[in-house]
Amino acid sequence: MSTLTVGHSLATVASTEKTKKPDPGARGQWLRFVVALVVTVIVLVPIAAVVILSLQPSLGSTTTAPITLENFGAIFTTTNVAQWMANSLGVTLVTVAISVIVAAPAGYVLSRARNKLVSGYSLVLFVVQSLPVVTAVIPLFILFAQIQLVDSLVGVTIIYVGSTMSVAIWMMAAYYDSIPITLEEAAWMDGCSVFGSFTRVVLRNSLPGVLSTAIFSFLLAWNDYLIAVVFLRSNENFTLQIGLQSFFQQNATNWGLVMAVAVVMMLPPVILFAFLNKHFSVGGIGGSLAGR
Amino acid sequence: MATSTVTNRIEKARKGVGVSGQGAPDQGRRKKKGISARAWTLLAFAFPSLFLLVLLNLYPVIYAGIQSVRDGDLIDPGNFVGLKNYTDVLTQPSFWAATRFTIIFTIVGVFGSWLIGLVLALLLRTKVPAGGLFKVLLLLPWVVPVVVSATSWNWLVATPQSPLPMLANALGLGNVLFLADPVLAQVTVCVFKVWVSFPFMMMMMASALAAVDVNVYEAAKMDGATNWQSFSHITMPMISRSTYISWILMTIFCVNDFPTIFLLTGGGPVDATTSLVVLSYRTVFQNFQTGPGVAIAFVMTLVLVIVSVVLYRQIRKVNIE
Repeated sequence: MSTLTVGHSLATVASTEKTKKPDPGARGQWLRFVVALVVTVIVLVPIAAVVILSLQPSLGSTTTAPITLENFGAIFTTTNVAQWMANSLGVTLVTVAISVIVAAPAGYVLSRARNKLVSGYSLVLFVVQSLPVVTAVIPLFILFAQIQLVDSLVGVTIIYVGSTMSVAIWMMAAYYDSIPITLEEAAWMDGCSVFGSFTRVVLRNSLPGVLSTAIFSFLLAWNDYLIAVVFLRSNENFTLQIGLQSFFQQNATNWGLVMAVAVVMMLPPVILFAFLNKHFSVGGIGGSLAGR
Repeated sequence: MATSTVTNRIEKARKGVGVSGQGAPDQGRRKKKGISARAWTLLAFAFPSLFLLVLLNLYPVIYAGIQSVRDGDLIDPGNFVGLKNYTDVLTQPSFWAATRFTIIFTIVGVFGSWLIGLVLALLLRTKVPAGGLFKVLLLLPWVVPVVVSATSWNWLVATPQSPLPMLANALGLGNVLFLADPVLAQVTVCVFKVWVSFPFMMMMMASALAAVDVNVYEAAKMDGATNWQSFSHITMPMISRSTYISWILMTIFCVNDFPTIFLLTGGGPVDATTSLVVLSYRTVFQNFQTGPGVAIAFVMTLVLVIVSVVLYRQIRKVNIE
């Protein structure tokens, strides 16, 4: 249905552009506004449904109010959702921190050192990134079973770091490419070491790059399902992904409660994006892929 | 800016600075020790990522490669069986059905999300009241976890009492079983994937469009170019590089996608929406056949790498032009 609307919007945009000549401005603007509004409303239906259903009285509820927060109270008392939330947050934040700490210096090497070894490394990162996660999950499962890291949040965090690392390194490298080397050369002239120029010149100017990388790693870790479903077994170790899924399977018809858990789960990434979307750019991923 | 980095790189390449630290004529006045200190620093910078790459990415792939020619399971490594797993997999009808669906899913996912993303990026590049707000709101399908959106789509379409089937019924379309009819389930999963992915494409295309000089359009208009002409002759060539890159990335995302399919349909009905990844997952974790499961993943990866290389060559060509 949304495809149709968009096709229609293309036609509208084209015709607006044509009629714009005599009356530049207002009219075309508002037409485009209406098109954008219609598309946005249709696109957001599934997300709005989550929020609306979570606020409706659930099955067996005694309240007569049309909108209620009792679902949220109910899930925190009857399920482990607080624990799942803490697990998800812990796993994700540690993943983000390690990814950035590992990728920041590695991206510098990719950006500044140009030789066969480094471009080979970059290619390996690309190939590894394009492999299906299933291939990596099987051997790691066998390995982790031997060292008690199955059904462990530490184990899951380690794998998340592995799966976010390649993209994180590219994103950092792409950002460093935009920092002129002359700035560093000046620092070297003053007797600064490579490490010194990296921390004092490059890193200090790379906050937007670090933020983009951190946001991307956050989304990858927070939104993962496959790794969590394979590795996490016991309820108190669930992340929200698996928690929501198992809760949904047990209470498939009690939409109020299910959607309340869903709202809890989507809030962190949505809040993150609401505040930081200006700092987030995916352009860097493509740029670094094509440049090497 | 792109050209300046390229010049930088060429210059750096000439100087030969890098991990191996050969040459470096103009840094020769800094003592030899200085060059190797730089090389050591860079090596130290790369080391943590190398270590994790080997442990978490390369080791598993090699191990999986070994498992693909053995008859083991998740506990027992089993015996060497040669290419039996591969021949078994390639002669299974379910493998070819999964291949077919993976191709459909990928083509619809890549081009559907690209088309919608591009149109929205073009729309929001013009002056639209509250344009900034739309840009953020339209990213939500990509930002919201797939588990959440799959749950919501389930609510929307899964049973005859769900809102969309009810709507279809009210419009006189009869009982539309979005997830129970094989073909309709395939369509639903593909539409779901497009819904999840178009914001990513929108961001990619918006950042590509941002680099196109607006004055070029004015000049083209002066010369009497129509809107369609300036789109096809100016915009498209200028963003073709980013377009190819976004296609490569989205192809990888789609072929490797697991949750979008698995959470909405579980691969059903009657395996209609079983992609290669879902088939591989089931073979390993539900039927406990590691060898065939990994063999499926490897065949898939091989095809993926070939497609990526073809598209990558295309980017190179565009770069040279």
